[in-house]
Amino acid sequence: MNKRELVELWFVRLVLVAVAAFVFSVVGVLAEIAGVVTWLALFGAAGAAILLFLEAGIPSLKGRLARYSIGWIIASAVSLVIWVFAQKWWQTAFPSFKGARKAWDTFEPLALFGTALFLIVGLAIAAVGTLDKSSVRPGRIEHGFVSNLSAKVAAAPMAFTAIGVFVIATLWTVYHSFTNSRLLPKSEFVGLDQYERLWSVERWYISIKNLAVYGLLALVFSLVIGFVLAALMDQKIRFENTFRTIFLYPYALSFIVTGLVWQWILTPDFGIQHIVRSLGFENFVFNPLFDADIVIFGILLAGLWQGTGLIMVLMLAGLRGIDQEIWKASRVDGIPAWKTYIFVVIPMMRPVFITTLVILASGIIRVYDLVVAQTSGGPGLASEVPAKYVFDYMFGGQNLGQGFAGSTMMLLSVLIVLIPWAYLEFGERKRG
Amino acid sequence: MGYSVQIKNLDLSFGAVEVLRDLNLDIHDGEFLVLLGASGCGKSTLLNCIAGLLEATDGQVFINGRNVTWEQPSKRGIGMVFQSYALYPQMSVKGNLSFGLKNAGVPRSEIEDRVGRAARILQIEELLHRRPAALSGGQRQRVAIGRALVRDVDVFLFDEPLSNLDAKLRSDLRVEIKRLHQRLKNTMIYVTHDQIEALTLADRIAILRDGKIQQLGTPDEIYNRPLTKYVAEFIGSPTMNFFNGRIEEGVFRSRDLEIELDGYQWSGEASSGEAWLGIRPEHVASANAASNMPYSTEIEVELYEPMGSDTLVWTFIGDQSFHFRLDGQIKVSDGDRLSIGFDIRRGSIFDKKSESRL
Repeated sequence: MNKRELVELWFVRLVLVAVAAFVFSVVGVLAEIAGVVTWLALFGAAGAAILLFLEAGIPSLKGRLARYSIGWIIASAVSLVIWVFAQKWWQTAFPSFKGARKAWDTFEPLALFGTALFLIVGLAIAAVGTLDKSSVRPGRIEHGFVSNLSAKVAAAPMAFTAIGVFVIATLWTVYHSFTNSRLLPKSEFVGLDQYERLWSVERWYISIKNLAVYGLLALVFSLVIGFVLAALMDQKIRFENTFRTIFLYPYALSFIVTGLVWQWILTPDFGIQHIVRSLGFENFVFNPLFDADIVIFGILLAGLWQGTGLIMVLMLAGLRGIDQEIWKASRVDGIPAWKTYIFVVIPMMRPVFITTLVILASGIIRVYDLVVAQTSGGPGLASEVPAKYVFDYMFGGQNLGQGFAGSTMMLLSVLIVLIPWAYLEFGERKRG
Repeated sequence: MGYSVQIKNLDLSFGAVEVLRDLNLDIHDGEFLVLLGASGCGKSTLLNCIAGLLEATDGQVFINGRNVTWEQPSKRGIGMVFQSYALYPQMSVKGNLSFGLKNAGVPRSEIEDRVGRAARILQIEELLHRRPAALSGGQRQRVAIGRALVRDVDVFLFDEPLSNLDAKLRSDLRVEIKRLHQRLKNTMIYVTHDQIEALTLADRIAILRDGKIQQLGTPDEIYNRPLTKYVAEFIGSPTMNFFNGRIEEGVFRSRDLEIELDGYQWSGEASSGEAWLGIRPEHVASANAASNMPYSTEIEVELYEPMGSDTLVWTFIGDQSFHFRLDGQIKVSDGDRLSIGFDIRRGSIFDKKSESRL
C-alpha cells in the first residue's frame, strides 16, 4: 500500500513537471533548455505512468474508466504512427510519402507531444481507476482528477494558451522592462533606467493626459448616452429592431474604418466645416483634428459614435430583465419615471453595469488604431496615447526596453484600479 | 351603502384584439370582490384598468364617486399588491414601505407612524431592516401588502397575490388577507384563477370570460345557481356532470336517463327543447339515501379515487361517464354495484344553444 502511494505521489509530481515544461516550450521561452527539459519530463512522466500501471494491474479495471483509458492509449498510438511517418528515414524508404514534406515537418513535434501526453493521460486514468478501489480514502482521486477528465483535457490547450499569454508573457514583459533590450530582448539589467527615461519624456506625459481625458469622457458619455438610448428604446416604440440595428451598426466597423470616416468628416476642406461654410457662414470653424487643444475630443467623437451602440444594447438587455411589475408598483406609488430609473432600476442593473464597465475600460486602455487612423498622434504629439507610445517604441523605435516599461506602467495602472475593486466585489461576497 | 368603485361601459383593446367589451361593474363600499376566470379572460387587464396602469379605450372608471378615468395611478386612492411581489430589491423593507410616501412629501413623523402601524398589523416589525432577498416568499408578500397599506387608501387591488407561494403558505396567507379585510373594512378587489381562493374570500365573485362578466354574485349563488354552463363547469372541483338531452312536457330525456323535472326552480317559464342537465358530484346520494331521491339508479364502480374525507367514484350511467362523491368511510372497490340518486332541485338546466340557465 505504501509503495503504491509513493509511486502515485511521484507520478503526480512528474505530470506536473511535464505540464510546466509543456507550457514553457509552447510559449517559446528559453527554447533550447525547454526542449531538453520537456522531453525529459514528458518521457519521465510516461515511464512513471507505466510503472504505476504495472504496479496497479490492469485486469481489475472495468467500465467507463477502462474505455477512457483505452481511448487515450489508442490516440497515443495514432500520434506515434504520425510521428513515424514524419521521419526522414521513413520517407527515404517510401518516397511516395515525400510529397507533403512541409506538412509532415509541422506534424512531427506535435505528434511526439501527443504520443507522450496521450499515453500519460491514458495510463493515468487506468492507474488511478485501479488504485481507487484499494485506496485508503476511496473517491478522493476520483473527485480531484478523474472526474470530468475529458472536459479538463479538452480545456487544457486553451488553459495553457491563456496561462502562456496572460501570465508568462506578462512576467516576461515586466522582466525585460528592467533591461536595456533594444531590437532583440536581452538580459542586461539596467535597474529602473527605462522608467526614469519614460517619465522624463514629454510624449509619455501627453499620452497619459490624453488617455485620462479620453477615458473619463468616453466612460461617462458612453454610459449616459447608452443608457438614455436604451431607456428610450424601452418605451415600446415602433421600429425598435430597425433603430437597434442602426445604433449597433457602427460597432460592426473596425476602429480603422471608423477613424478614416471621421477623419474625412472632420477635415476642414471637405467635411462639416466646408459644408457649413458653403451654406454661407464664411467664418465657421470646426477642425478639431487640426487643433492641438481639442484634438482628443475629435477622437472621442469617433470613439463614442462607434461604441455607444453596443453599450445601448447591453443596457437594453438589462432593462428588459427588470420585472414589469416593478414599474407598475412604482407607478402606483406615484414615483416619477426618472426617480424609478435612478433609485430602483439602475441599482437592479448593477451586474450589467459592471460588465459594461469592464468592456468599456478595456476598450479605452488599448485605444490605438482610432488615433492612428485619424491623426497618427498629431498635430505634433497632441493626440498621442500610451498604447501608441508602446507600439512605436517596440516596433518603430527598436527600443523594446522602453516599450516594455510603458506597457508595464499601463498594466500597473489597470491593476491599481482592478485590485481594490475585485477585493470589494469578491471579498464582500465571501463575508455575506 | 355607497359604491366604492364603479366601472361604466369599459372597453379595452390592444390593436385589433378586444380584451374587455362594454363592461359594467359596481363595487360596494367595503366589499371584497373577486375577479375570477381562466387565464386570458381579461381579469388582470380589468384590474390594471382600475389601477390606471392601462388606459381604457372607452368607458369610465369611478372611485369613491370621482371620475378617475384619466387620473394617474397614484392619484386614484388605490394600493396594489402584485403576484411577483415587485419589491424594490435594493431597499430595506422599511425603505420599500416608505419610498412612495417620502416621494409624496409626507412628513417624516407620519411616515414612521404609518410604517410602524402597517408593520404591526402584518407582523413584520422585526424584518424592517432586512433586504427583500433575505425574506421568504410569504414575508415578501406581507411586505408587498404593507406597501399598499401605508398608502392609507380606500381600495386595495390584489393581482394574483398568492400564486407564487406554495400550497401551505397560500392557505395561511389567504386567512390573513380575510382577517385583514375584516379589520380594515376596505374595499378589496382580488384577481385570481383559483376558485377556492375566490369562494373563501369573496363577498361577491365576478366570473369573467372573453372580457365579459358571465356572472356576478355571492359565492353561494355562483355555486348553487350558476347562470351559464361555463360558470357551472368552471366552479366546483371535481366538475359538474352534464347530460345532453331534450325537455318535453316537464320531463328531461337523454339517451341514458329520464327524469321528471318536478320541483325544479325555473329561472323563467318552464321550457322545453334541447338542453343540458348538470348535477354536481357532491349532490349525488348513494346507498339507502338514494332510494328517497326523485331519481335513482344502480351503477357499477369503474374507478375510485380515495381523497380522505371523500371518495370520488367514476362510473357510467348508460354510456355517459359520471362521477360522484361518496363518504370516505364507505369502502368500495372496482366492480361493486351501488344504487345512487339525486334530486333535480339541486341540479342545473341550461339551454343547449345559448348555454344559459333555464
